[in-house]
This record gives sequence, C-alpha cells and structure tokens, in this order.
Amino acid sequence: MKMEMERQIGIPNRNPAVFVFLLLLVSCQLCSVVSWKKEEFRNCNQTPFCKRARGRKPSSSSFAAHDVSISDGDLTARLVPSDKTLEDQDQIQIKQLILTLSVYQDGILRLRIDEDPKLDPPKKRFEVPDVVMPEFLSKKLWLQRLSTETIGGDASPSSIVYLLDGYEAVLRHDPFEVYVRKKGGNRVVSMNSHGLFDFELLRVKKDGEDWEERFKGHTDTRPFGPQSISFDVSFYDADHVYGIPERATSFALKPTRGPGVEESEPYRLFNLDVFEYIHDSPFGLYGSIPLMISHGKSRGTSGFFWLNAAEMQIDVLGTGWDAESGISLPTSQSRIDTHWMSEAGIVDAFFFVGPGPKDVVRQYTSVTGTPAMPQLFAVAYHQCRWNYRDEEDVEQVDSKFDEHDIPYDVLWLDIEHTDGKRYFTWDRMLFPHPEEMQRKLAAKGRHLVTIVDPHIKRDDSYFLHKEATEKQYYVRDATGKDYDGWCWSGSSSYLDMLRPEIRSWWAEKFSFENYVGSTPSLYIWNDMNEPSVFNGPEVTMPRDALHVEGVEHRELHNAYGYYFHMATADGLVKRGDGRDRPFVLSRAVFAGSQRHGAVWTGDNSADWDHLRVSVPMVLTLGLTGISFSGADVGGFFGNPEPELLVRWYQLGAYYPFFRAHAHHDTKRREPWLFGEKNTERIREAIHTRYMLLPYFYTLFREANTTGVPVIRPLWMEFPSEEATFSNDEAFMIGSSLLVQGIYTEHARHASVYLPGKELWYDTKTGVAYKGGKTYKLDVNEESIPAFQRAGTIIPRKDRFRRSSTQMVNDPYTLVIALNSSQAAEGELYVDDGRSFGFQEGAYIHRRFVFSDGKLTSVNMAPAAPGQNQFSSECVIERIILQGLSTGQKSALIEPANQKAEIELGPLLLHSKKGPTAITIRKPNVRIADDWVIKLF
Amino acid sequence: MKMKVKRSFIAAALCVLCVLSLSLESISISIVGSASSSPTTNQFLGISPQDEKYYKSSEVIKCKDGSKKFSRAQLNDDFCDCPDGTDEPGTSACPAGKFYCRNVGHAPFLIFSSRVNDGICDCCDGSDEYDGQVKCPNTCWEAGKVARDKLKKKISTYQEGVAIRKQEVEQAKIAMAKDEAELSKLQSEEKILKKLVDQLKEQKEQIEKTEEKERLQKEKEEQERKEAEEKANQGKRKIEEEAKQDSSEDLENSDGEVRRTESTYEEKIGILEGSHSSQDTAENHDDLAAKDDHSYTPEHKGSLVESVEQHEEKQKEEPVAISENEFDSGSKVPPDEGEDESEKTESLSREELGRRVASRWTGEDTTKEGEEVDAVKEDTHEEYDGYASETDDDNQKYDDEDVEEVADNDFGEEDHGDSDSSNKYESDTDSDFSDVTTSSTPSWLEKIQKTVRNLLQAVNLFQTPVNQSEAASIRKEYDESSAKLSKISSRISSLTKKLKHDFGPDKEFYSFYDRCFESKQNKYVYKVCPYKQASQVEGHSTTRLGSWDKFEDSYKVMVFANGDKCWNGPDRSLKVRLRCGLKNEVADVDEPSRCEYVALFSTPALCLEEKLKELQHKLVVLNKEEPQGHDEL
Repeated sequence: MKMEMERQIGIPNRNPAVFVFLLLLVSCQLCSVVSWKKEEFRNCNQTPFCKRARGRKPSSSSFAAHDVSISDGDLTARLVPSDKTLEDQDQIQIKQLILTLSVYQDGILRLRIDEDPKLDPPKKRFEVPDVVMPEFLSKKLWLQRLSTETIGGDASPSSIVYLLDGYEAVLRHDPFEVYVRKKGGNRVVSMNSHGLFDFELLRVKKDGEDWEERFKGHTDTRPFGPQSISFDVSFYDADHVYGIPERATSFALKPTRGPGVEESEPYRLFNLDVFEYIHDSPFGLYGSIPLMISHGKSRGTSGFFWLNAAEMQIDVLGTGWDAESGISLPTSQSRIDTHWMSEAGIVDAFFFVGPGPKDVVRQYTSVTGTPAMPQLFAVAYHQCRWNYRDEEDVEQVDSKFDEHDIPYDVLWLDIEHTDGKRYFTWDRMLFPHPEEMQRKLAAKGRHLVTIVDPHIKRDDSYFLHKEATEKQYYVRDATGKDYDGWCWSGSSSYLDMLRPEIRSWWAEKFSFENYVGSTPSLYIWNDMNEPSVFNGPEVTMPRDALHVEGVEHRELHNAYGYYFHMATADGLVKRGDGRDRPFVLSRAVFAGSQRHGAVWTGDNSADWDHLRVSVPMVLTLGLTGISFSGADVGGFFGNPEPELLVRWYQLGAYYPFFRAHAHHDTKRREPWLFGEKNTERIREAIHTRYMLLPYFYTLFREANTTGVPVIRPLWMEFPSEEATFSNDEAFMIGSSLLVQGIYTEHARHASVYLPGKELWYDTKTGVAYKGGKTYKLDVNEESIPAFQRAGTIIPRKDRFRRSSTQMVNDPYTLVIALNSSQAAEGELYVDDGRSFGFQEGAYIHRRFVFSDGKLTSVNMAPAAPGQNQFSSECVIERIILQGLSTGQKSALIEPANQKAEIELGPLLLHSKKGPTAITIRKPNVRIADDWVIKLF
Repeated sequence: MKMKVKRSFIAAALCVLCVLSLSLESISISIVGSASSSPTTNQFLGISPQDEKYYKSSEVIKCKDGSKKFSRAQLNDDFCDCPDGTDEPGTSACPAGKFYCRNVGHAPFLIFSSRVNDGICDCCDGSDEYDGQVKCPNTCWEAGKVARDKLKKKISTYQEGVAIRKQEVEQAKIAMAKDEAELSKLQSEEKILKKLVDQLKEQKEQIEKTEEKERLQKEKEEQERKEAEEKANQGKRKIEEEAKQDSSEDLENSDGEVRRTESTYEEKIGILEGSHSSQDTAENHDDLAAKDDHSYTPEHKGSLVESVEQHEEKQKEEPVAISENEFDSGSKVPPDEGEDESEKTESLSREELGRRVASRWTGEDTTKEGEEVDAVKEDTHEEYDGYASETDDDNQKYDDEDVEEVADNDFGEEDHGDSDSSNKYESDTDSDFSDVTTSSTPSWLEKIQKTVRNLLQAVNLFQTPVNQSEAASIRKEYDESSAKLSKISSRISSLTKKLKHDFGPDKEFYSFYDRCFESKQNKYVYKVCPYKQASQVEGHSTTRLGSWDKFEDSYKVMVFANGDKCWNGPDRSLKVRLRCGLKNEVADVDEPSRCEYVALFSTPALCLEEKLKELQHKLVVLNKEEPQGHDEL
C-alpha cells in the first residue's frame, strides 16, 4: 500500500490529468456542498415493488381468513383473496397463503404469513435464520383455545387469543386484519386495517415473459418474478413513531406521505455504502433494523418488528392520508398509520405491547438478543485514523498521548496496514514488527484494532482466496460463477456468510496461528460489510447473486453484514478459547447485531449538522437494540474547525462508543494539534469519559441484561412528558445523567429542557435547577451542559491513568444527588473487564441506597457458584453529597464502626477553581462489602 | 531543565549506600524498604529536594495555589486535598500532581502523578512503583550512561558546530557587506549612467529630428524640382503620377508633421523593446532620484508578480484544454461529475466503475487505482514530459516578453540544479557582469562618461546635414549604455531582493540564499532551496512543496507554503526543522499529515553558544549525579 500512497503523493499536479481532476473537483466543491450522489441510488419510483405498493389505494385488495384453528400451540388459518375480480377459482387457489399466529411470554405476538407449501411454490421463500434467539423460541405459550367474537358491525367473526394479562390478540376474518388490544377495549397495534396487504407469489417464467430490471447499466434477472410483500401497520394512541435505522434524520420520524407532506421518499431500509451522506434524509444507510416503536402520552409505548432482510421501504403516513378510503377505525383513539413494503421474503412480524419504553426494548431484545457485554477497554476512548501509516507513526501517536497526559485505550489501523488490502496480512515495509508493536502498546494496557473487510482479493497467491475458491465458499453471480466485484482490494469475491460452516471456517482465520502478526491485545473492525461493491448496482452486490441453496442476495441483503460481523466475533471468541470477550466494530447493521459488538454511523462529515444528527442516529440505534454505537468524533470527511472538534469530543465522550476517526485526506487532528487551550478542552472531555467509566460499564451491564440502552431518549426516562417526545438534542446516559449537546458555532447560550419535578445538578458547577422547565443557560467552550438527576448516585473514578487498564485498582468516588425526600439510589457493576466469568456470576453488583441519612450498599449479585468468583480490593475514597439539607458533621461506618470526616471538597478534582460540595473524606469502604454509612 | 538539582545529603548517602551494597534489581526495593522503615522519608515521597523545606517548615501546609491548607498528616495520605496536587506529590490521588523521580545516576525528572503505582515503571530508579504490584529494576546507571554519552557526543558536535558557525557568521558578514557595497555602488553608477543615457537619448533624438528635417527638406526640394519639371514637361503625365504615388500616401492624407511624430513614437517603442529597459526608468528618473532608492523596488516587484501570475495562468489553461479532449473521449472522467457521469456509468466497464467509485474515498485518479505501479509511473512520466515541453515553450515566450524576469529566473533555476554549489550564483554574476562590476569598474564608467562627454561636445546638433559618423557613434553609445543600465538595474533589483530577506539575528543564514539542499528518500529527491522554494522530484516530474514563506519558532523552523495543490487536501507545504549539525544536510522528509511535509535539517547555523553552555551545564549536573566509585563496582 505504501507504493500507492506515495504514488498519490508523488503525482505532481503538473500532470495534466491530475490537474483537470483538481480543477473539476474544486469547481464542484464550490458549486455544491452536497456531493451525495442521489441519482446513483434508486428512488421508490425506480423500484417496481415500491412504486406499485405506494400506488395502492386503501382496501384495494383484501384477503379473508379461512379454516381458523389451533395447531401445535399456534393459531393457523388460510388466507384467501376475497377480491371480486378474481372470478377464476384457480387463481384464488394460487393466491392462497398460510397464516400462523404464535404467542410468547411477555405479551409478544408473532405473525407469520408464507406461501402454502402444499401448493408447490417454485422454491421456499427465505426466512432469516440465526436472528431470533433460541431462548426466545422456548418462551412460546402453547395456545389451547381461541374464542370467537363478532366485533362492532362486522359481518364476519374474529378469533381472539390471550396474549398477556390485560391484552389480547385479535384475528379478524374478513377482511383479514390482525391486532393487539387491551382486553375487550382499545387497540394497541394493528396490521392490515387499511387493506393494503399484498403478497406476490413466486412464479415460473413463461415464454416471452420479461421480468428483468435494469438500473444504471446493471441488470437484475429476477428469475422468480416479482415477489414483494406489503401491508399497513397502525400504532394507536401514539404521538410519534421512532426506530427503523439507519439514516441521518430526526429521532421522531416525520410523515413521508399525507396531507401537507412535501414530496418525500419513504424511509428506506437497504444497507448501502453511501459516499458523503447528507444529514437529513429518509434514505437508508449502512444498516437496517425493521423495528418501529411508537410512543404516546396516553397509552405509552408499543412496537412492531418485521424480521425480513430484503429491501424494505416504509412510509409514515400523515393524519388524513386515508381521508377517502371509507375505512372506519376507532375514532376515539389517535393513531399513526404506516405502510411497510418489502421486495421479498415472508411476513414474520412481532407485536410488542410495552406498555413502557423499557418494556418494548426488553420485549424486542428477548427476540433478537441483548447487547453483548463489552470488555472494559472497549468502553474507553479509541483513537483512529485512515491511516496510521507505520510503526513509527503508531509509536509517535502513542507517546504523544502520554506526553499530553491524555488517556486512550485503543489505537486503530485502517486498510493501509495490509499487504495490498489482503486482510490478515501486514504491509511488512510499514509494519515489519506487528507483534512487537502490539506488545509495546499492551505494556501500557492499550489495544490495537485492525481492519478486516469482507471483500477478498482475487489473487491466486492469497491464501484466503485460494482456499475460498477451492472450497467454493464464495457468493455466486446469477450465472453460477464466483461473483467478482470491485472494492479496495480490486477484483474481489465475497464469502457466503449465510452458511454456518463458512462462518466457522472464517472464525478459524482469527486464531493466533492463522492471523500471523496478531497477539491477544488485537481486536477487529469489519468495514464495508453492507457489502460495499464499488462497481455493483447502488455500490453493492447484485440482487440476483446466489447464496447457499439458491437463496437470492435480494432476500438476505440487509443481513449480509450481520452474518459477517457474527462470524468475526465468533472468531475472536474461539481465538481466546472462549475466555476473552470479543470486540468487533461493524458498519453494516441488522436486527441482532447488538449480540456481536459495536457499530458506528459510518462516513460522516466534519460539519455541525453531522454533529447534530449523530445524536438522533445513536439514539435510534439504541432504541432498536444496538446499545454500543457512536459516530466518528471530528467527522470522517473534511477538516473540522478546532471549535467543532472540541464540541465533538465533548459530545462524543458520552457516545456509548467513543472513537475519533478521520479520512486520509484530512489534516492530522490528534488532540494536541490545536493549541494548548484546545488540547486542554479535549483532554477534559476525554477525562470526563474516563471518570464516568464505572457508570458507563454498569450501564453496559444493564443493557446486557435488560436490553435498555446506555444512551436513551429523554422520554424513555420521562414517558409521560410530552415536551421530551421530539427532543433529540438532549439525551440521557442511563437514568441519572442528562446531556445537552452544543451544535452551533460560537454558542453562548443553550436552551435546555430539564424534565421531571426533581432538581438537576450541573455536573461541572454543582448548580441545581428545578425540573419541568426550559432553561436558557450560558455556555462556554470548556464543556457542554450535563446534569445529574436528583435521587441518583453515580459511581466515578477520579484518578486519570494512561488507559482504563491502569484504573482497575483505583478507588471510587460516589456522587449522590439527593431528591426532595433526601433520598437517592444508584448501582455499580464490576467484573474482571475481560472474560465471560460474569456469565457464571463472577462479578460485583451493588446497589447504593441513601435514605434517612444513611447510605447503604446492598448486594445485587446472586451468590456465585463454585470457583468462579470475582473480588476486588477497591474502596470508595470519597462520597460527594449534593442537596443535603441538614448539617451533619461526621459519618459513622458500620460494621467497622469507624468514623469518617465530612468536609467541603471539590466537586471535580481536575478543575482548578471548581465548586465545592459536602464530601465524606476517605470512608475507604470496600465496594465488595456490605456496609452502612450513617451521617450525624 | 525545569529543576535545579541539589540533593540532600541524606538522600545521596542513602543511595550511594544502596548502590554499593545491593545489586541493581534490588535498588528500588531497598529505597522503598528504607523509606518505609522511616515514616518521614515515606511521607516526603515524590518531593524534590529543594521543595522539602516547603513541606517540612510547618505542621500546616498551604496548597501552592493558595486555595487551601492541609495538615502534615494529610501529606501523601492518598487523598487529594489541593486541586493543584500539592498535598499528594507521592501518590496518584490528585490528577494535577507531579511526582519527582530522583533517578540517582541519571537525571531527575517529574512525572504525572497518574503514573504512580500504575503498574508501569516510569522512573529509572523505580520509585514511582512502590505498592508491590510490579518490581521496577533500577536502570538509572545504564540509562544515565547512555544519556551522558549521548550528551557528550552532542556537546562535541556543538563545540565544533559553534566554531563553524562563527566562521560562517563572519563570512556572511563579509559577503553581506560586499553585497551591500556593490549595491550602493551600483546605485550610484546607475544614477550617473541614467543621466548619460538620458543625454545620449536627447542627442539621439535631436539627431533624428535633424535628420528628419533634412529628409523633409530634401523631399520638398525634390517636389519643387518635380513641379518645375512638370511645368517643363507636361507631356509625360503618366510617369509623373506613378512617381507621386510612390512617394507616400501620407503626403496626400496629412501633413508632414503628423507623420513625423508617429515615426518618433514608433522608434521610441522600438528602443524600449530592444533595450528592455523600462520607459519609466528613463522618464521618471528625476522623480525617483529624489525619493529613496528602495521606492523603486516594490514597483518592480509588482511587475514580477504580475508576470508570474500570467505564467501560472498559462500553466493552468493549457492542461484544461487537454483535459477536455480526454474528457470527451471518456477515458478519464473525474468522479464528481453528476449527471454526465451517471449517463456514462452504463457504458463503463465494471472495473472502471469500481475504480471510479473507490476513487471517491481515496481521491486517486481512477485510471491508476490498482494498476501496477510501474505502469503508472510510466504513464505519469509520459504525460509529464509532454507537459514539460509545453512549459519550456512557455518559458521561451516568456523570455522574449520579459528579459529581466528571465534573468532572475535563470539564477533560480540554475541554482536549483546544483545542491551544494553554494556560490554558483556569485560566479554567474561575475561572468555576467564582468564588464560592469569587476575591479575595472571605475574605468568603464569613466570611459563611458568620457566618451559621452567627447561625443556631446563633438556633435554639433545644429549642423546640417548631420555628420553621419557622429550620429552612428551616438546611437551606438546610447544602445550600449542603456543595455548596461538595464543590467545594472536588474542586478540592483536582485540584490535588493536578496538583502531584504531575514537572514537571522547573526545573518547566519546568509549563505543559504541561492543554495539548495537535497535528500534522496526512496524514489524521491527532496530539494530545499531556502528563500526560494522546496520540491519533491521523482524522475522527471517535480512537485512543488512550497515557496519560501518565513522562519518560525525563533529560527528553528523554515516554512515553505503554498505549494502545488493537493487533491481534496490543503496546498502542499513543508516545514524544515533545523538542528545543530556540522554540515548542511536535509534528512528525514516525512508527511505526517496529508500534503503537509516535515523535514529535518542539520546545520552549523543552529549550533548556538548558549545552547552549548546549557548542554555543558547539564553534563556537569549529570556527572554530579553519578555515584562516586561506581566504576569500581
């Protein structure tokens, strides 16, 4: 790679071709800031299934449920078109579908609709494997009976099954409709209430039929004809809908159709490598999670998830869109209607009743899995750039962090570290001693991440390509040859990650023997796994490429990167004999990606709008299960002004995944390059993250057990406060910390809404603000506003080291913000930070409760069986009390029966002339023990 | 060196004892061990000897920032009381704290207190790790020896360098004085010469006027004669008419006077073109003479800039034309082309498409991505060669247009060619100006003056007809003198330009002017020409890394800015970091950030005496730290 880089540098611009290139480029940059190539991607009108579905009128076609019965614990029925135009009995026969309704614990309803295998379809339609948790399947409630009821003025009956205490699932027979309602009352979520349901059956091509589709010189052969599915979903008593990442847009999803909506594309779910994406567009980016969550003040939260990996388009319909449909739905309930369209697959949909935001997240992650527990280092700060060029560069950057007393945990190497983009190799000119380099980093407790992308260079002397070719492990093109696409490595092929045996073969490649030059402190980054194919249609793989058992790429496209991510994470687990938690960052995302590692929001730009939109993007990912996510700090493309960079660090310090990254054309932007003042600000931002590591790690564990994300929208903590519903400038870290980003240049003030009735304590100044109001606060460049909610306890570590590794034995600080009843609660989770021992109970989990002038540490961990114990000598060196109304002077520690002094101490150790707070000095109680500290 | 090193006797004695009695590995343990046996020592951990008084003077100690007070018991009690870390010099409790490593045998230094007991050995004496988590061997003696040897080497380099520098500074002073003397001499000569040229010009014009008059007189006479003949011979009309036509249209259209002015004007232009001396110089001479001589230079410079700009514009324009052709043929469409591109996408080969999309991220020329390097290289060269010849053509044109600029240009280019030929310029000058500036100087000017005086006296302006030989010698003298004048003017301007530069406090960089330094790294040759420009050469192709901007960081960095444009990046630039060395040498050119280059440059100019003294002092201090009798061990 060195050659290529040098060549690039070496090309004199007197070379006319380059010159032209420059001139055109410059002129283009001048003419428009937006370089997103809209025309390169299909819009709905250019996508036949989308155009067709969008053109449908409500109630234009309807099906009726026949032969409704219970079998194998499920409710089953045949769906038969009741379309009067289909006079021909044969056609009706052909259009028949099989419907299955299943009920799972926690009130989850699953609806499947597929072709009737008895009718001998040309092939089996694709069902996405390995996403639904096996544990979930075991939570099925075996239906014993169904009741029948004729609802309202219906001509036909409805079948009703029990869902959960107070909730029922209803199958209305004719016209067919499925919904969840409160027992005998209000609806929660419904499907096909507007009769938009349609299901195109697979066909065998007859002579003269042309199903081919062309786009930008690419031809899709579509051997089975059109096979799309579409239907409408309604959310009741909903004020807003959220979810369906990934795109750069507001957190609360705006309507894409309906009265008063400007011409808009539907929200698209199709994993694509979008060059210089724009900051406000319904267009889909690198990931797709077909989960939509609604929230409203009166009912709460509900969700709908369609497990389908084909291209999907979703319209959020503005009120009044159906004014002329003649369909009457309960008018007492407000409603948000949505229209879901997918190119292929089956209907495999899950209804979540909530009723709270955390309930829906729990329900969804019980289906697709909760986020993996990361290693402690991965929660700390990551330093990345395309590219740290060579070992000297790595050493330089590493030592500069120490010189400037800025901690970091992970240094990243992008594609240029490889030998010609052959992953698992090193450019030995630039990196002659990779093991030694890693050992040097590891000696400071630091880690290295190298990139491994899915495109495999078609080079017969490359072991990976040779083996994959011999074993026939590649995805094939429509003619049956190994698919050959163009990516970083030039002519490349792509492994068929759908096949478990290929995934396991891939996983083996990460062993220390196979990955030459890797050491135990090396972890992996999967980029380009949408997959990105530079010369493919829409910069990805053709839809008619073939996977195992004749599965068309169109059917699993959105999950390709998911399987790749999964296989890589498995590889790291195998590498460490199952004792080392993997860390794999992925760009492509699908439902369930949270189980395999972290994701980031891809190639953003160094501008304020991208800083701003990173918050709704990360919030949306969190809401849909992907807790461990972040945006490139500083912005990938372009050169941030120092102020923007500083603001980005200040915000990024609160992203669950905190990594700085930059394009190779940008100026160097390591934290110390912008003058002492800015270095100090960035150091401060990074220190804030390290200080809060115990809190973050505890939240990661919470996400790991409950699915509730680390970063949360305000309404997840304050579900009845309408003022928070569309606020995506501020967010919660856990339940205790509210952060407001600063998204404009030279900001002197910030408008901050603080929800609830309790006080909020500014984490920097200690000033208290009453909740339930919007404040116009003065801001400076030193930090962004952050507040601790009264009634909470946040664990911190106030000593700063080179990396999180050296902080393991450092003592804790507890920051207690008392509420109006002089009470507070918080948790601390600690384990070895590395292994899977925590799964066997090797961890410390404490609950700190302050009430009646007493702080109590309560054990939350069940007694760990056998040898798998985790212990810690760590103590609490300082307890800060905010909002203490009485003037206690001293503290008594029990059971040790020791005294500790109470004095005024600094709120933050590293701020020079910072505010003070009541502090219990050196209680030195162990975090592993039970104890009580009484104030008197 | 932030600290003064003065050890307490106790510490010294203790450490000497350690060194004498124990193997190196156990030193740190022994320090800690002896420390823990005496609580006072332990309590003063991490404090520098000269600071101990501050902590020992009373039972209540002030935080150094004045914010608080703390008791002796709170000193190093592993709890941070002072925001500035005063109370915890020996623990990691205060983020702002600093820990003092004594490092006996090497140099003491301060580390961030966050390094204390973090499991990593920072101090060579191991004193920062005392909680028993890790054992840090005492490596101070080895490290100190290495450091001392390095320092000694550095000192000897400096010693030699300081001497060289002195010489160079002397030489620079002489050279500069010489240049200044030459300049002032040239300036006075210019004045005299200008006067002479003016006089000659006046003469010449007078002669020409006279000649014109004569000619008109002749014509008139001729006409009268003809008229007379006509009268005499009216029969031959046709022939007469032809003759009339022949004589000149001017006579029919306008009177003689007009025609005369025109011709003078033309001649003037002709003179200007031929002599390349600016019209202004001649005409405004009197005005300028009154002003400071320097006022002349900016104007001059302005014109230079203009022509350079023109030159650059040309460079830009031509490739565009080429590009359009290429664009049409579809072989080299840049990625950011919007509609056109998308239309073309369909006709592209798959591979080209892939490359092109990739190039969005990389910014590379799409035709090159992934190709064999050699092929690309050839490609580049071919294209470049083509372009280079065009550039030459440009230069050719340029030559004709502005001789003065080219003369200037020549200096530059010739000098670039040769790296260490520091005095090339002067030899050039000598040959160029040998007739003007050599020691025979007074004679040539006097000679001219004399000749002119003689001529002026000899020539009778009002003599008709004009003495042809006199007129010729006036013309010749005028041409020669004005050619000389223009040479002097150009020399003055280049000298003025040179002397305006910043050559450092001791003019130690004077010899850098008109010198270039080269360094070969892999396939590139980097050329650094101080006060001019810096470039990266690969084979026949040259990339400008920047033109001279300034010194930075008190003459420790030379900055070259506004180099060739970089795709999607900033204009190229180069920072040359200077350090003391015995020879002027470029080394280690690097590109830490895209298109921002950094080079190291060693030069005697940076071998400063103060720095030498500082280093010597440092060595003295280090040697003091050296435990007595260690060598015997």
